[in-house]
Amino acid sequence: QVSVLYFARSAELAGLRCETLSVPREITSLQLWEEIVKAHPRLAVIRDQVVFAVRQEYVLLGDQLLVLQPGDEVAIIPPISGG
Amino acid sequence: MEESEDVPKDFIKLKCEKLSVDEVSELVVSPYCGAVSLFIGTTRNNFEGKKVIHLEYEAYTSMAETEIKKICRDVRQKWPSVKHIAVHHRLGVVPITEASVIIAVSSPHRAESLEAVMYCINTLKASVPIWKKEIYEDEYSWKENKECFWANSEK
Repeated sequence: QVSVLYFARSAELAGLRCETLSVPREITSLQLWEEIVKAHPRLAVIRDQVVFAVRQEYVLLGDQLLVLQPGDEVAIIPPISGG
Repeated sequence: MEESEDVPKDFIKLKCEKLSVDEVSELVVSPYCGAVSLFIGTTRNNFEGKKVIHLEYEAYTSMAETEIKKICRDVRQKWPSVKHIAVHHRLGVVPITEASVIIAVSSPHRAESLEAVMYCINTLKASVPIWKKEIYEDEYSWKENKECFWANSEK
């Protein structure tokens, strides 16, 4: 069970900022995205623009294998615009 | 009375209240430094012909602070003579002409602090999880920094 955090446009599309999700302990970042889109189909439109932050490290959507621990934070990160 | 050691410090703050240039510069001033360089990012009132009413910022706060700390660490590796670094970023609503971000760096001589400030703002725009929404009269838009490596540039 991981905590999924939504920000900016992804929070608007998903309709929430935070939830817990049950996912396999080992999963690729792309598979994780697909699990999240199953729960929130409106997120599909931003697939090409987002990355994840897993335990506060950026991860591209792709084949990278994630090893998740219970309580880990996974954030959906749309293109940033600080400063 | 002797000055305390004046150990190099990083001052990082994300806050919803109005930012103060005086406050941020005073954080980095040091008797060992002849230079304090500053960058202030302010809100413009227009974008592509549309009138901007105000900006709204949100952040993944814990990660944003961590990423800014990494930037400070990189600055100290590249410019070892840099003394203090302060990065204050505003969150929530920022009215036109008010500051969204203030960065201040002190160093004994001016070249290092000038270069370090530029590096800080450029790297912040590329790596710190903060988002800006521009509010226009009829609509709004989530902005995307061109420095962001995962943004879809054909948009």
